[in-house]
Amino acid sequence: MLRMTNIIKKYGPTLVLDEVQFAVEAGEVMALMGENGAGKSTLVKILAGLEIPQAGTIEIDGHTKHIRSPRDSHAAGIGYVAQELSIVPSLPVYENVFLGDNTLGILRTPRVLAKKAKPFLESVGLGNIDPLTYTESLSVAERQLVEIARLLSREARIAILDEPTAALSDAEIARVKSAVRTLAGRGCAVIYVTHRMPEVFDLTDRVTVLRNGNSFPALETKNLTVDTLIEEMLGRRLDNMFPARSDGLQEIKLQLSGVRGAGLRAPVSLNVRRGEILGLAGQVGSGASSVLRLIAGTIPLAEGHMLLDGAAFRPKNISNSKQAGIAYCSDDRKHDGIFAGRSVPENLSAPALSIISRAGFLSFGKERRLAEYISSRFGIDASYFSRLAGNLSGGNQQKVALGKWIGINPNLLLVEEPTRGVDVGARAEIYRHLRELANAGLCIIFASSDTQEVLGLADRVGTFFHGELVRTMDAADATVQQISKDVTHATEAMA
Amino acid sequence: MFLTKNDHQPIANEASQAAKQRHLRNAVLGLCVMTAFATIAGFSNPTFTTVDNLFVVIRAASMTGIVAIAMSFLTISGNLFALSASSLGALIAVVFAVTTSSFGFPIGLALTFGVAVLCGLAQGITVAGFGNPIIATLAFGTVFRGFAAYLSGNSIVRIDSPAALWLGTARPFGVPTQSWIFMLCALVCWAIIRHTKLGRQTILCGSNPHAARASGLNLAFVTSSAFVFMSVGTAIMAILNVAQFSQAKADLFWGYDFDYIAAVLVGGIALSGGKGSPMQAALGAILIALLQNYMLLNGFSSGLRMTIVGALVVAAISVFHIMQGKVR
Repeated sequence: MLRMTNIIKKYGPTLVLDEVQFAVEAGEVMALMGENGAGKSTLVKILAGLEIPQAGTIEIDGHTKHIRSPRDSHAAGIGYVAQELSIVPSLPVYENVFLGDNTLGILRTPRVLAKKAKPFLESVGLGNIDPLTYTESLSVAERQLVEIARLLSREARIAILDEPTAALSDAEIARVKSAVRTLAGRGCAVIYVTHRMPEVFDLTDRVTVLRNGNSFPALETKNLTVDTLIEEMLGRRLDNMFPARSDGLQEIKLQLSGVRGAGLRAPVSLNVRRGEILGLAGQVGSGASSVLRLIAGTIPLAEGHMLLDGAAFRPKNISNSKQAGIAYCSDDRKHDGIFAGRSVPENLSAPALSIISRAGFLSFGKERRLAEYISSRFGIDASYFSRLAGNLSGGNQQKVALGKWIGINPNLLLVEEPTRGVDVGARAEIYRHLRELANAGLCIIFASSDTQEVLGLADRVGTFFHGELVRTMDAADATVQQISKDVTHATEAMA
Repeated sequence: MFLTKNDHQPIANEASQAAKQRHLRNAVLGLCVMTAFATIAGFSNPTFTTVDNLFVVIRAASMTGIVAIAMSFLTISGNLFALSASSLGALIAVVFAVTTSSFGFPIGLALTFGVAVLCGLAQGITVAGFGNPIIATLAFGTVFRGFAAYLSGNSIVRIDSPAALWLGTARPFGVPTQSWIFMLCALVCWAIIRHTKLGRQTILCGSNPHAARASGLNLAFVTSSAFVFMSVGTAIMAILNVAQFSQAKADLFWGYDFDYIAAVLVGGIALSGGKGSPMQAALGAILIALLQNYMLLNGFSSGLRMTIVGALVVAAISVFHIMQGKVR
């Protein structure tokens, strides 16, 4: 039904899509997979009319289509649900269902439109929602479903869903999945971009893998396993997601005694040793990241005290904690992790400006060597140096956001969500680099809502629920089930 | 331990060359626009291309240009621009005239720069503490203008200082002092932004203030320093003006704020911050002066001149906006 041939897309000198072939048939769900930076988003944006390729043809039902704007894309029957939702929260649900639809005419009463919207909402499992309610009262998953209802209302023949479940919980994911099945059941060709393995095997008929801008022939999902799929994406075997743990206990680096601050309902006491990785497991708002922020000095200490290398420590702000050799990386790299409009070396040297300057003057030679040193330690390709950080893929941005702290030679690294929005390959690399740093004597504390990650990366685990530390345990003794239980049903676990 | 020379990678050098080529292309583009304009204008009016007229243009660009160069620190640091420059100029002019007539030129000069730094700090700390540079500088502008009127008793303050007169009217090597100082300011400020730690901090804070704070940079310090640069630049302009005419008044530079901002914008410095260089502000000032000069020589009325310069600013903002979209 849809056939893309020899698609070439360049950003400046960088080849993002190199003669990519891609085809989907009506009624099938096609997974589009690949590491960050492989070209998935670019390919679907070309279909959505948001990017224009330098070469290649797009055919729908055998007719060549020239898609040069979102309008062309609509006209060709393509519907696109972007990662960042295009829902207007301040409008009623029915308005969002028909957003951008110009065929409704001038006379449009809310009641008539609501009635028209109802069947579309029902078919995506939102039958219980009154189309007249305001969209802001809906959950993220429900808003996602409203977008899918919009595709139905437009009678889109090709639906593109770009990581629709990235921010959703398991129960919510199930609703999105059934809506996707509805779409495919109506003869729609669905292109499903995701990083999540379970959905691929559960939902899709075939998988197209992109690797470094090259496409590979589509594979039948039923002939694949998780391991073979990861190998396809990486182009090599992934031996071990998580590196081996360290052994040998060293002296205590940081001691928290009964500390409390914003986001924590009960005092927290914790120890962490040099060379150790402490993983704090907890969902959003559980207080796990509040502990990191207290240590970093971005939120004030309400009670309790901290000992750093045995001496009292009470940071007032980031500069304080940075002087004490503490590096802090928040969970939102776009917001405060990277300088999107500046080059990679400028990003990497940002916390270490004193090191690369003398008497107030910068040394570009030192900056370059610092950037090369960090890049070699953190697996950042030096060919990215002339690129703006904002133009890198999510995985590389995360490496830059984390790696920039190596420049100040920290002795305590605090990381929130170390691999949010990072693909499998880059994720394994980040784990390996963090472990190497710990082996070199660095003490690392990270907070994560990914149970697997906490269990795999940490030496010791602390579980958080509702602003309280549930317990700490050795990662070797912990199980995924136990951690999941702790972070969701704390009362049971504590009883 | 990263400071070992042997791990230089050729690929990284290639990358930096690509970046250099990009900068070069932008510079060449700017020069082409100017040369093309000068050539066309020269054909239609031969006076335009005479050496004398070139001096006139640079001299005309100097006063606005010095302030625009200083103002670019604010824009690059992500604080848009100040609406207090003209009023601060008036206050500084009065302060310089009063102190010079009382204590002589050298002490007057020192005191005036002291006042300029204080005015910069006051604005910088206010903006760093309470945010919005537009509202804050609008209010400070009123304070400065009012205080200038109070200090001068609303009358003309005259000075009689040969040193000041030399500063205002001399032509070392045939070029007016104003133009020398303009070019010097452009060079020094370019070097500060490009080659110093403070300059880099300014760029980073403008690029992403949240990431800058998270990296341990001191935003309040950077904002304050940007305002101090802006105030000192304004002071240099005001002192040169007083020196030239040997007098100061509280209503000096009235309505000039747009000219300063226009030079920054026509120079192509992004209002979003974190990009650009003071050199661009200097070029912007020269470009506007060229245009103004051409229109004067051809007898355009003042209303028409104003319309055209305004339209140029609108065009500049639009063109740079579109170009940024393309580059990404």
